[in-house]
Amino acid sequence: MASALEIRDLGRVGYAEALALQQDRVAARRRGACPDTLLLLEHPPVVTLGRSARAQNLLLPRAVLAARGVEVHEVTRGGDVTYHAPGQLVGYPIVDLDARGARDVHAWLRTLEQCVGEALAALDVPWRRIPGWTGVFVGDSPGREGAPEGRPRKIASIGVGVRGWVTFHGFALNVDVDLDGFDAIVPCGLDAVEMTSVARELAAAAPDDLGARARAAVRDAFLAHLG
Amino acid sequence: MSIAVELPALGESVVEGTIARWLVKEGDRVEVDQPLVEVTTDKVDAEIPAPVAGVVEALLVAEGETVPIGADLLRIAPGSERTAAAPSAPAPAATPPAPAPSASTRSGPSATPLARRVAEASGVDLEEVAASGARIRREDVERHAAARAETPSAPAAARAPEAGAPAFLSYSLQPGDKVVPMSPLRRLVAEHMVLSKRVSPHVGTVAEIDLAGVVRVREAHKRAFQEAHGFALSFLPFVVHAAVRALREYPRLNASVVEDAIIEKKDLHVGIAVETEKGLVVPVVRHADRLSLAGLAEAVEDLAARARSKKLSPDELKGGTFTISNPGRHGNLYGFAIINQPQVGILRMGEVVKRAVVRTVAGEDAIVIRPIMYLALSYDHRAVDGAPANGFLHRVRELLEEAEFDL
Repeated sequence: MASALEIRDLGRVGYAEALALQQDRVAARRRGACPDTLLLLEHPPVVTLGRSARAQNLLLPRAVLAARGVEVHEVTRGGDVTYHAPGQLVGYPIVDLDARGARDVHAWLRTLEQCVGEALAALDVPWRRIPGWTGVFVGDSPGREGAPEGRPRKIASIGVGVRGWVTFHGFALNVDVDLDGFDAIVPCGLDAVEMTSVARELAAAAPDDLGARARAAVRDAFLAHLG
Repeated sequence: MSIAVELPALGESVVEGTIARWLVKEGDRVEVDQPLVEVTTDKVDAEIPAPVAGVVEALLVAEGETVPIGADLLRIAPGSERTAAAPSAPAPAATPPAPAPSASTRSGPSATPLARRVAEASGVDLEEVAASGARIRREDVERHAAARAETPSAPAAARAPEAGAPAFLSYSLQPGDKVVPMSPLRRLVAEHMVLSKRVSPHVGTVAEIDLAGVVRVREAHKRAFQEAHGFALSFLPFVVHAAVRALREYPRLNASVVEDAIIEKKDLHVGIAVETEKGLVVPVVRHADRLSLAGLAEAVEDLAARARSKKLSPDELKGGTFTISNPGRHGNLYGFAIINQPQVGILRMGEVVKRAVVRTVAGEDAIVIRPIMYLALSYDHRAVDGAPANGFLHRVRELLEEAEFDL
């Protein structure tokens, strides 16, 4: 039997182009013209503002961002502000929750966290959730006293859109992205949280082919849950 | 006849959504399944489609507002014909056109519900607003408000300071201050607290309760209860049990004030105030008088656990007729809770502390050590006078001190 989840590895795709791709795929999925699909890709540097975005979480003026070659997009996903750049693995699952008998948008957020978390575990990065903060984290609980490395660090951001129970947008996992780019924003409006990446967490233990391994781990995790 | 479009269920754990953006406006024609509005909840953005084709009669919720699942978002007049609410509708006869249904129950000029709310929020008198169509719409109100703000006339300028918050309520941000925006739940709680204190004259009374009997019952059953139910038996179910029995004897405490009547309720549903990381919620033990002590303990444990893991359904937060608040081990001596409207009473437990008290032992006065809890009742003096309120609290005390509980 064919897999219920088709995975497409698209390489580097501009934000606007990827959004158009997603919208086409959502329309096709709603018509029943294609299976559930996971689009895997990475974006050139771009800041996106979700539906709950507050202006104060964009720290640099748009003109400064433009001078750095960073685009700014306002998008129809939930959540606040986020940053994408090469070295970050972006996944856009186009999944019909109704067809899967899973009409619960919050449960879908938890599924995305689980899949990304399992991929991290396969890469030897221990992961955790922080109740109330959607996303995937490493490190200790917020507010706890201790060494700087004990503080929670965000490794993957999540924000989705739903149209007639078909999902789009999804997650962004920092694999070996240049973390300085996040200085432009307060990620997801959470100012207690610093961003990290798989490469930074593994440090010297990071394999040379980390990007390929991360893609494979994400594919496996999504196929295990949605395949 | 128009139909209301509700905020649909977005999943078991989703209790509310925030209107992110309207995709239609009043007077627009919509087709079946056409997206009407974008709603956000946590990190999800969802579009709500039109269930029928028709004309958008009224938007009932403003952008940025947070509403519970099931709340009406907008009204659509189904069919291809424009309805009486729309400007081009012909009057049925020579008589003037009938006002739209939603406007007929209100006084003043014909305006859409959204326009009324915007007018109220911005302090605009609808009588002064010129309508661009058959009814005053939001745009008309906003245009009027903008024009008013720009008018440099003396009366408007003199009125301006009164329209805003009084000067003593303002605060200018200092370096190092932390700004914590209110969550939707925090805003709801805040509004409810202000409303309750405004409509309801609170009076407080406190009882000192000797829990020696309750402690005896609890100690005797502690281990068996833990093994049978998987959690420890706390003092809270004892207090709930005593309170519901006393409420049966004092029905005036299980009541609501509705306009100029007091409604004493048949059913007894007890709200239990629970602190969660997101704020205060009050899940309800329905028909608390039909439950045994163990049944109450189970219900309270279940509701509190699910409140903390955010797994309560909206129905479980509704319909309480009386509330009990248990701040737990750090509850201090006593305190007066704010009444959970539209109820008329709330009990608030203090911490249980061993104290030296005077008792008659073998005919002699003696100082003995007993576990003591102060139990405070806040009651609404519109509905309840001192005699029934004190009688009720005294009866709760008697029941707890007699400690005739079956497990």
